[in-house]
Amino acid sequence: MLQVREASVVFPTSDGRSVQALDRVSLDLPPDSIVVAVGASGCGKSTLLNAIAGFLPLTEGSIRLDGEPIEGPGGDRGVVFQKDTLLPWASVVDNVALGLRYKGVPKRERRERARALLRLVGLADFADKPPYELSGGMRQRVGIARALATDPKILLMDEPFGALDSLTRETMQQLLAGIWAQTGKQVLFITHSIEEALLLGTTIVVMSPRPGRIVARFDVDFVRDFASALEIGPIVSGRRFVELREEIRALIHNPPLSRHGALQ
Amino acid sequence: MTVTTDLPLELAPAIRSRRNARPAKPAGEKGTLAIGVVTLAVLIGFWFAASHFGWASPLFLPSPAEVATQFQAVVQDGYAGGTLLTHLASSLWRIGMALAVGIVVGVPLGLSMGMNRWMRGVFSVPIDLYWGLPPLAYLPLLIIWLGIDETSKVLLLTLSTFAPICFSAQAGVRSVPVERINAARSLGASRAQLFTSIILPSALPEILTGVRIAIGAGLATLVAAELIAARSGLGYMIMSAANFLATDIVFVGLIVIAALAFSLSAGMRWLERRLVPWKGKL
Repeated sequence: MLQVREASVVFPTSDGRSVQALDRVSLDLPPDSIVVAVGASGCGKSTLLNAIAGFLPLTEGSIRLDGEPIEGPGGDRGVVFQKDTLLPWASVVDNVALGLRYKGVPKRERRERARALLRLVGLADFADKPPYELSGGMRQRVGIARALATDPKILLMDEPFGALDSLTRETMQQLLAGIWAQTGKQVLFITHSIEEALLLGTTIVVMSPRPGRIVARFDVDFVRDFASALEIGPIVSGRRFVELREEIRALIHNPPLSRHGALQ
Repeated sequence: MTVTTDLPLELAPAIRSRRNARPAKPAGEKGTLAIGVVTLAVLIGFWFAASHFGWASPLFLPSPAEVATQFQAVVQDGYAGGTLLTHLASSLWRIGMALAVGIVVGVPLGLSMGMNRWMRGVFSVPIDLYWGLPPLAYLPLLIIWLGIDETSKVLLLTLSTFAPICFSAQAGVRSVPVERINAARSLGASRAQLFTSIILPSALPEILTGVRIAIGAGLATLVAAELIAARSGLGYMIMSAANFLATDIVFVGLIVIAALAFSLSAGMRWLERRLVPWKGKL
């Protein structure tokens, strides 16, 4: 269980003032969940993820993973970045095995486990290629496999499909839904696409900017259907999906003034 | 649209065909070897013509045949106290020593300056100060301190190769994308693992560029230093020949230096292809 309690982050700006990127955000991420944070740019959703990843210290509040306070990055939280961060000098399989190498897993064993993960993301044939010979979508799959390799407690995904074309993005979304359905891996997913949030989330938190805060929370369940769906059309055109999409859109464009609007 | 859970496997052939359809190389990457060879041939042809038709006095421009004869003579009988090979060897020894010391000291120091604020603060000012000086300006000082033998010349060359190597190693560290470092840290990398698996390989292309610049700076300083204060070396051979207006020997020296510079540069390009074939990608 990941618990975020009253987390605030304040950044100094270049003109000597400060920006409240996160304002007393509280959030529970239960195991087996996909929590999707959705909001316009500047709403603090990436700040929240960076704080959970341990890249960014909180100004106030606390983040605990299974009761342990987070004090920096660690192998118990796998991160998938928007920009791919693969190592160009290592083959795809060695990129996936990087976290296992840090753990001291012997070469043969870590490559075997990396190959199994590459099969999971459909890249078994590309294990020995250098990453720069892969397309953007394929590189993001390698990034997901790499984050899964150390078997983290939670997968943190920061707009991982934001830079992909729309067709590739749909494939990747369903791949992630399928992986989640298979592994039950807990995920925190950041996006600015409402549709992506609805398709992938079991919980959706809507965030609004200045200061970054959570204004609403929805528990949904489209992802189970999506994971095994042959057609995406019936899901996204369903009545409840459309209603929620419009409700969230309205919340993002006209956020309520009171804090902690629909939380808990 | 149709989607299935095992879609990635179905997609594999499509992905493969996309990979094969790679775009043609942009014009800037197409080979220029043939053009370069023709240019060189034209220049040599012009040299033949100029000496054949007497456009310039042989004192200023010796004929190619004359230079070839002298080349053979210098290889076999030597000039200014040594054969061509011994002059070449002492020049190579000096620049080799200087490069070795420059790399052994400059790379670790540059890397630590890239990673540590204190190292950067302490060392960047003195290096910046002396790097701005023309090496020949402080050569007399080095000679006063260390004498006229090899030590002063090797130190002079080391100083001129060290700075570009050190600066490029530092720049290499500073250019590592922060996301790459964050990714490694979130995969559980310790500080030592972060250095060996991320920072060092990421900085390697810049370090190799620095070595290439250092070779250029070293060659320039080497020949200049040998012109001023040496008893051997290609620069010394050229200076001795110039004193007797032996222009043909001067040409022999220049051709050997040009060949040396060209092979060192080609060697570095080969090394870059071997060590960092991924440079500029991703």
